[in-house]
Amino acid sequence: MLAGSADVGALARRAPKLASFDGEALTLPGVEILQVTYELGGVAPEAPFPPALHPTLPVLAVLAVWRAAAGPLGPFALAQWKLSCRSGARPRQLLVGSFADGEPARAALNERFAFAAAPARVRLERGYDRVAAGVELGGRAVLDVTGRGPLPLATGDLQFFSSVHAADTPTGLRLVQIDAEYAVARAERAAPEVACFDAAAFGLPGARLAYPVAAFVAVADVTLPRVRFVSRADVPAFAGTERVS
Amino acid sequence: MKFGIFYELSVPRPFAGGAERSVYENALEQVRVADEVGFDFVWAVEHHFLEEYSHCSAPELFLTACAMQTKRIRVGHGAVVCVPAMNHPIRIAERAAVLDILSGGRLELGTARSSTWSELAGFQIDPDTTKQTWDETIRALPRMWTEERFSWSGTSFSVPERAILPKPVQQPHPPLWVTVTTPGTELDAAERGIGCLGVAAASFKEQERRTAEYHRRIRSCSPIGAVNEQVATLNFLYCHEDGAEAARSGLAMLGAFGQSNAHLLFTREAYPTRAYGSLANLAPAPARREGSPGDPSGIPEGMAIGDPDRIIRAIKEWESIGVDGVNFLLNALEQIPQRQVLASLRLFARDVMPAFRKGGR
Repeated sequence: MLAGSADVGALARRAPKLASFDGEALTLPGVEILQVTYELGGVAPEAPFPPALHPTLPVLAVLAVWRAAAGPLGPFALAQWKLSCRSGARPRQLLVGSFADGEPARAALNERFAFAAAPARVRLERGYDRVAAGVELGGRAVLDVTGRGPLPLATGDLQFFSSVHAADTPTGLRLVQIDAEYAVARAERAAPEVACFDAAAFGLPGARLAYPVAAFVAVADVTLPRVRFVSRADVPAFAGTERVS
Repeated sequence: MKFGIFYELSVPRPFAGGAERSVYENALEQVRVADEVGFDFVWAVEHHFLEEYSHCSAPELFLTACAMQTKRIRVGHGAVVCVPAMNHPIRIAERAAVLDILSGGRLELGTARSSTWSELAGFQIDPDTTKQTWDETIRALPRMWTEERFSWSGTSFSVPERAILPKPVQQPHPPLWVTVTTPGTELDAAERGIGCLGVAAASFKEQERRTAEYHRRIRSCSPIGAVNEQVATLNFLYCHEDGAEAARSGLAMLGAFGQSNAHLLFTREAYPTRAYGSLANLAPAPARREGSPGDPSGIPEGMAIGDPDRIIRAIKEWESIGVDGVNFLLNALEQIPQRQVLASLRLFARDVMPAFRKGGR
C-alpha cells in the first residue's frame, strides 16, 4: 500500500499553531460554494502526504471557494486546496493551502482551526451561465477557476469529506481532522475550467491540475465543529489516532 | 449450495521482478486444484488501472487459460464491463462465445458497469450514462448469440444486419449475471431475469433482505433471455484445522484486501451524480474484539475463515437466507503463501463441501 512520503520534519517546521482543542463549533449560514476538482499531476501520488496518509489513485485536487455574506464572523471569502487521500481506509482530504479575504474572519478561522489562511483577495462571482472564483495575492492571480453551465442536482448528490491538516497542537505535531457538516440547500453540477493555478503559491511546487473531473456549486449552512480527532503524522492512522474531545 | 473461487488478481508492490507473473501462475495452479477437488466456478473480474487491488484487465485471456487447464469447473467471465468505450457489445458477445466453445460450454457471463472514477475516466466515460449502456448491452447480448443475423439501432451503439460469430455452445446461451456492489442492483437483476453476483461484503441481515426481494421480483420479470435465478455472494476463504492459525492468516488476508481497496477512488467520491451510490471500503468490517459481545477471534460475520466446523456454520447461515452460491477470494496481495492456499482449498473440499452436498449433514 502506498503511504505518504512527505518529510515530517519539514511539515513540523511550517505547521501553524493550534493553541487549544477547545475552540467552539462555528455555524456559517448560507455559504456559497464553488468546488472545482481535477486529477493531480506533476508530482508522485504519495509525495504531498505525510506517512500517516495514503493517496487515492488518482489523487484528486479539490479547489473549494466559499463566500459567506453574513454570520458570526462577518462577511468573508475562503479558498482552500485539498487533496484526496485515506486515513487508514477512511476517505479524507489533506488541506494543502488556504487564502482568506475579510478580517476578523480570517484570524478567527486560523485561531480556532489552524487553517493557516494567508490574506489575499478571494472572489466568488455567481452567474446563471457560470460561477467564477479566484485568488489574487499582491495583485497577482494565483487562482482563476470557473464552473460553466451549472445544472441542478439533488442536494444529496454532493459528497463532502472530512479534511486533515498539520498543526502544532498542545500534544505536538498532529494532523487535525475537521469534520465540517454541510446542510445543502441548493446544488448544481458544472463543467470545470481553470485559467490560472499557481501550485507553489498554494504550497505544492511542481504540482499541476492534470485532468478535469467536475465542478459543483452549492449553497449550504456549514458547521465547523470542535476538533474531535487528531492523529500523528508519522505513523499509520490505526496506530496514531487520538480523540481530543 | 455451489462454491466458486473469485479472482481480482491483486499484486503486491513492487510490480517488477515477476510479481505479476507469479500471481497469475499461482492463480492458475489454484484453479487446477479447485477443479480437481470439486469447486463449481472460477470467476475473474475485469478491472483497469487499479494498482495492487486488481491486475486483471484481460480476464477473458486468464479464463481461457483456466478453461484449457481444467475439465469440469465453470468459467465465470465476471464481470465484463458493459460500456462500449471499454468493451463494444459485439466484442463481448464474440469473446464470450469463443470462451464458451473453448471451455466446452462452461461459460457464465457476469456483467457490470464499473464503479471507480479511475476506470471510467481512464476510458473517458461519462458516469451518468453507464447504467443505460449496461442495460442496452445486456438486452442485445442474448439476441446476438441466438439470432442468425443481428441488427441494432440504439443509444450507445448501432449495427446494421450482421452475423455475430461464433455462436456459443450452451443453448440458448450462457447464463447471465450482474455484479451487485450498490444496493438496489439486485432489483435490476430480478427485473431482467439474470443472476445476482454479489461482489461486496454484505451482512447476513442485508443479504437476506436483498435475496428475498430478488426472488420476489424475479417472479414477474421481463426476461432479456433465458432466466438465471441465482444469488451468489462473495466471501473470503481460509480453512485450517487449527482455528487460531486460520484466524491469524485469514485476518491478515482481510487486512491486505482492505488496504489495497483503500486506494480505490469510487466514482461518487469524485463526481457528483445520482448514477452512482456512495461506496465505502469493500472489505468486510471486522468483528468486535474481546470485551464486547462480538466474536473474540475478530473474524467478521459470515466469513469462511476458521476451522471446518466454523466455516460450515457460517455457510449454513448463508444457505438459510436463500443464497445459492458462495464465491471465495483465496488470497489478497499474496498475503498467504501458495502452499497454504492450496491446503486450505483441499481441506475445504474434504471437510466442508460434503456438508452441502446431497445428504450432507
